[in-house]
Amino acid sequence: MRKILIAILILATVFAFATRVLQIWAMGEEAKNLHIMAEKFMKENPGVKVEIQAIPWSAAYDKILTGIAGMQLPDLVQMGTTWMAPFGAMGVFEELSPYLEKSFINKDMFFKGSWQTVMMNGGVYGIPWYVDVRVMFYRTDVLGGVGYDHAPQTWEELYDAAKKLAQRGKDMYALSLLYTGVFGNEFMPFVWQAGGRLFDENGKVRVTDPEFVEAIRYYARFFWEKLAPIGGGNLFQDFATGKVPIFFSGPWMVSMIKQQTPQIEGKWSVALMPKNKTRTSFVGGCNWVIFNTSKNKDLAWKFIEFMTKPENQLEWYKIVSSLPAVKEVWNYTELASDPIMRVFGEQLKDAKSPPNIPEWEEIANTISRRVEEVIYKKRTPERAAEALKKDIEKIRR
Amino acid sequence: MRTNVFWISVFVGPALILLLIFLIIPIFASLYLSLTDFNVFALTDWSRAKFIGFRNFYELFQDELFWKALFNTFYCLIVAMPVTVTLSLLNAVLLNREQTRFKNFFKICFFLPFVTNTVAIAIVWSWILNPSYGILNWFLGLFGIKGPNWLGDPIWAMPSIIMLVVWKAVGYNTLLLLAGLQNIPDFLYEAAELDGASSWQKFWYITLPMLRPTMLFITTMMIIGYLQLFEEPYMLTQGGPLNSTLSVVLYLYRQGFKFFKLGYASSIAVVLFLMIAALALLRLRLSRQD
Repeated sequence: MRKILIAILILATVFAFATRVLQIWAMGEEAKNLHIMAEKFMKENPGVKVEIQAIPWSAAYDKILTGIAGMQLPDLVQMGTTWMAPFGAMGVFEELSPYLEKSFINKDMFFKGSWQTVMMNGGVYGIPWYVDVRVMFYRTDVLGGVGYDHAPQTWEELYDAAKKLAQRGKDMYALSLLYTGVFGNEFMPFVWQAGGRLFDENGKVRVTDPEFVEAIRYYARFFWEKLAPIGGGNLFQDFATGKVPIFFSGPWMVSMIKQQTPQIEGKWSVALMPKNKTRTSFVGGCNWVIFNTSKNKDLAWKFIEFMTKPENQLEWYKIVSSLPAVKEVWNYTELASDPIMRVFGEQLKDAKSPPNIPEWEEIANTISRRVEEVIYKKRTPERAAEALKKDIEKIRR
Repeated sequence: MRTNVFWISVFVGPALILLLIFLIIPIFASLYLSLTDFNVFALTDWSRAKFIGFRNFYELFQDELFWKALFNTFYCLIVAMPVTVTLSLLNAVLLNREQTRFKNFFKICFFLPFVTNTVAIAIVWSWILNPSYGILNWFLGLFGIKGPNWLGDPIWAMPSIIMLVVWKAVGYNTLLLLAGLQNIPDFLYEAAELDGASSWQKFWYITLPMLRPTMLFITTMMIIGYLQLFEEPYMLTQGGPLNSTLSVVLYLYRQGFKFFKLGYASSIAVVLFLMIAALALLRLRLSRQD
């Protein structure tokens, strides 16, 4: 009896050491459901154990930061696209070009804007997992009431519709836009739509270009003319009552509107961003990143490949309904037959991300500050752009 | 004697070591950091941080937003401190009256904001202050007053924050003042009554002077606390609109933990530390004079 016990014990220890453990940090809804994919992965790869540590989004930034400072990191982490640059600059991400050479994964599988988020200084530091893109949410019935049987298609139409919507009465607005805090990611689509940019090919700051100034004026005008509310309100409540019938947001709002305001079911829809020169939107989402401290890089890459396979991307979409990063998946009937998803898919073809530089957070802060000054009429758009140029040049110095 | 040293180090040592690791070393480290250009690239490789002397301080004093933050912070201190003291004293005196009933109930009510998590408080207050659906503007509306757009208006945002800060601090200070009041011996009041003092005179010539040690404590703590204003603007306004609620610590947080300019952030911390120390010392010196 004792011999058997010892034998089992020895076997168990041998087995325990033979098992390879892949540690993953994940956040939010993803973390809650990732175990479903992990179990499938473990079935396909016997002898591998996947350990998922769930981190709430609110604590994720600090957790990763302290992890890097103390070099206590997992093999693989879910990384928000806007965090790629600041954490990437700390030099802890594995460069993935060598892995890509021997893999079915290549950059053409992904949306252009999404692939931008993994590129830094010419290297590849992540693989897109899922994407999110901002589109226009609008109340079909309310816009119909002012003579729009379709969503505003251009900047002129949006402004015209906004005017008419605000004329419905006292305390009536047209659209919700951010005016305080940090809203670089919300403001930049307007710049891109106008044909403007932050930097040119030589890295020169181009915020005083007429296109950029035009975007500032267009954005601020909604506040000057009381077409967008300042302060107060609640996005869902105002959307449901029709007080603010237009806003721009990402795919997560689809299920949230359904849950929070079921009374307007069938009275709202989504549409592409309004067109000026283009209809460019903001693309975000999350990438997979391997830390270069990992001892299981090959295994981590294997997991990335597993999650990138179109059939698994589709399965993941069915679990948490986040938008697949792999283009091919969008042709599957599950997505192609859904009218709302079709809009997101279409918008993804024309979407950008902010420049992948560690100073982005600081630049986004100063953009917000200067645009805010225009909204509150402390500066003209031209003067704000000049101040912004100085700010950015100082930051990048 | 030798055994004494041994036992002292056994008992005090662990506490001292913890203090050293978590307080004293970081203080000196941030002092040193403030003289370097420690930034995002230096986080994993400390050798990349260069010693730059007092350049951070030089830049700081030219930084428009720092001055703005400094102004806002002192605005909060100068308004919030007298209001907090007055309200706390009023509450304490009322609670100390023999006629007051449900004393413990009121004590709990006053103290609750102090022990409640600021994050939860901020969410509730953002609703109270909401211009269209908020209870505050509804209440003002009953009197025919159209309440301002509290958090959306650069003029009203700071007063809103101050309201919250005061509301949160009053309970704690009330209890301290109440304890102070209860320590005043009854015979002083009895003697005053025999001499025919009015209740106002009793308050002015007995209560207030006898509360002086408590007052010294709470005002000093308030200087230290209010100058470190952070959570309320962080939760409610993120410093906006137009940076009208940007406090020094919020600016420090932004520079240090959002932009990773830890060197620059440390220089803000050093300036803040010097200011707090100077004001607290001044407060102590003033009390010694009278």
